[in-house]
Amino acid sequence: MSFDPSFMWTAFLSLFKALPTTLFITIISVAAGLVIGTIVALARLYRIPVLSQLASAYVTFVRGTPMLMHLLLIYFGLPIIIDGIAGLVGSSFTSASIPLLAFACIAFSITAGAYMSEVVRAGILAVDKGQIEAAHAVGMTTPQALRRIVFPQALAVSLPNLSNSVIGMLHGSTLAYTISVIEINAQAQIVAADNWKYFEAYLAAALLFWGLTVLIERMSGWLEYRLNRFQRGGAA
Amino acid sequence: MIQLEGIRKSFGKQQVLGGINLTVQKGEVVVILGPSGSGKTTLLRCINYLERPDQGVIQIGNQKLEGKHPGRSEIHRLRQRTAMVFQQYNLFKHKTALENVMEGLTIVRGVPRDTAAEIGIEMLEKVGLGDRLHYYPSQLSGGQQQRVGIARALALNPEVILFDEPTSALDPELVGEVLEVIRRIAEEGITMIIVTHEMGFARDVASRVVFMDGGAIIEQGTPDDIFQRPREERTRQFLRRITPEANYSI
Amino acid sequence: MSRRFDIHYVLDFIPKLLAYLNITLLIVGSSIALGLLIGLLVALPRLYNVPGLQRLSRIYVSFFRGTPILIQLFLVYYGLPEILGWLHIDVSRIAVLYFVILTYALNSGAFISEMIRAAVEAVDKGQVEAAQSIGMSGYQTFRRIILPQALGISVPLFGNLVIGNLKDTSLAFTLGVMEMTGRSQTLGTATQHFIETYIALSLIYFVISVLLERAFVWLERYLNQYAGKEQTSRQQRMAKRWQARLIPISDRGGKQG
Repeated sequence: MSFDPSFMWTAFLSLFKALPTTLFITIISVAAGLVIGTIVALARLYRIPVLSQLASAYVTFVRGTPMLMHLLLIYFGLPIIIDGIAGLVGSSFTSASIPLLAFACIAFSITAGAYMSEVVRAGILAVDKGQIEAAHAVGMTTPQALRRIVFPQALAVSLPNLSNSVIGMLHGSTLAYTISVIEINAQAQIVAADNWKYFEAYLAAALLFWGLTVLIERMSGWLEYRLNRFQRGGAA
Repeated sequence: MIQLEGIRKSFGKQQVLGGINLTVQKGEVVVILGPSGSGKTTLLRCINYLERPDQGVIQIGNQKLEGKHPGRSEIHRLRQRTAMVFQQYNLFKHKTALENVMEGLTIVRGVPRDTAAEIGIEMLEKVGLGDRLHYYPSQLSGGQQQRVGIARALALNPEVILFDEPTSALDPELVGEVLEVIRRIAEEGITMIIVTHEMGFARDVASRVVFMDGGAIIEQGTPDDIFQRPREERTRQFLRRITPEANYSI
Repeated sequence: MSRRFDIHYVLDFIPKLLAYLNITLLIVGSSIALGLLIGLLVALPRLYNVPGLQRLSRIYVSFFRGTPILIQLFLVYYGLPEILGWLHIDVSRIAVLYFVILTYALNSGAFISEMIRAAVEAVDKGQVEAAQSIGMSGYQTFRRIILPQALGISVPLFGNLVIGNLKDTSLAFTLGVMEMTGRSQTLGTATQHFIETYIALSLIYFVISVLLERAFVWLERYLNQYAGKEQTSRQQRMAKRWQARLIPISDRGGKQG
């Protein structure tokens, strides 16, 4: 078996079939992660009793364990819980009817939530306290101040971290192959095994991910440039 | 003993220094005044090659450097004859006051540690910080940090000390203590070139005042010449803006 | 899918998994050590603006940060023998473990080079000028002023890298390396108590991560003794960043006059 560059094109075409799955997992987990992350971050910032302790424990646990563990714990643990509840309430619903993709999305949303909460928290903390005070001074309520003043500024500050997290989730989505979800990595394995051309297949997969990553970085860079317009003053 | 000839410097298209000539004699205290953007800080930084002049000759003692790319060891030797006090103090953050003062002695000059420590303590006492020897910069006030900076420069016993706006970053109430220290060492006959905005201090301490504007020296003379009898219109304008009380005394 | 949940299995599995902790730590330790070397070599051309090499090191960093570690594992495992085959070097007898270590080293190297660059750039420019003004040479400035300060700055980032590397080693099992996660797979298959094995495994990873984090916080405090409160809090904030994308803290000193 010698290196066959022309096979890489074949591999690419095949990998593109799995691209939607990879993107789906990434987008869902990032979106859900942002929602979870914002709630967790606010609970911690405003020191809401009980909730903030739970939030801290959640973030510490997720950050202290590999993403693979989150996936496997959900994949093996969730059915036990669901089937247990179904048995209790006498429902005919069984975990077997849940698609594998859903397990991946749930698990990675939990992962993303913890990391996103740190991104959101850092972003909010980076906004000058005077901004909130000024918002209150002109009569805004706290939710108004958060939504109209704090979040837009925090977004601009935390965009690099955010794009990092998105890239982290994109790369992490490759783990889904361990529970037989056919995303790009799994597809690479299939193409590779079918043709006994492993190097070419994985090289194609690597290039695809590399391209996606660079694209995300570029987009985030462009967005950062636009969002930070207000900071590009001329004062030395 | 310090001679600058035809110093030119541009940042991109912006010409900052347009061929400066300046001679400073041993023991002189030269104060450079001028509006911001006049090139005075750049000129000062060219003297020890923190900024490389595009053209010109710098001579300190018998050490002569020319143009933009002199040898590394030549720059190194030139810097050993000078010392600088920075606007932002620039004390080594991870070293105590005493270590800051000793650093140049032990590392650059090869002075044994005990001797360096003795000199260091003496210098810190001279600037009134004998009780702060083992404090880190983060534990000192701005005024104290700047006095350590002066002690660090003094310890090297350089042929000239360059002061780059030494009080500009200080809170107003801390300016006095730093100026007082500089004034005292000026009386010891150490050659100094000072860029500052403190007019009263300049008048007091300078043996010569140099007024710069637009990258050129407009005029120079004794403090009395410059402050009482400025010849150039630009100097007069500058002094009027800086010291509004002068308007009333005329 | 699996049998009833039984907490006793968790307790039973922990020591069985811990028996393979040494392999996990071997991968982490040796790949980080090798990664430090690679990172330094990759950072140097960019720190010193070496023409051609600078571009090469940028591509290296972009590739290893831009692709999933899992893909990198397969790429090295399948690709390296092939590339070395062109040079008539036979590596088919070399244990998988070494491929894994090499992959993690190449991966960490990319992140470490960014860390080194960011840390060096984060050292205040005024510090370098002050060193030059008292006549220090380039080497003296680096050794005595930049390096000690950059070390202090980089500790939180480095801690994140090491912990990230530890967590990533859980993927080594995909190539059949018998470290903790690999062992958990066999335990799960043998007993059909998967969830218990993964709970046990998660607890182990968690405890090691927390211990490492503590150790790095201590180290950071030790190295930054000189810094006032202001600086430590900035660094703590940096420490919170995940897989820190290293944003050099640009320090444009006010230049005027």
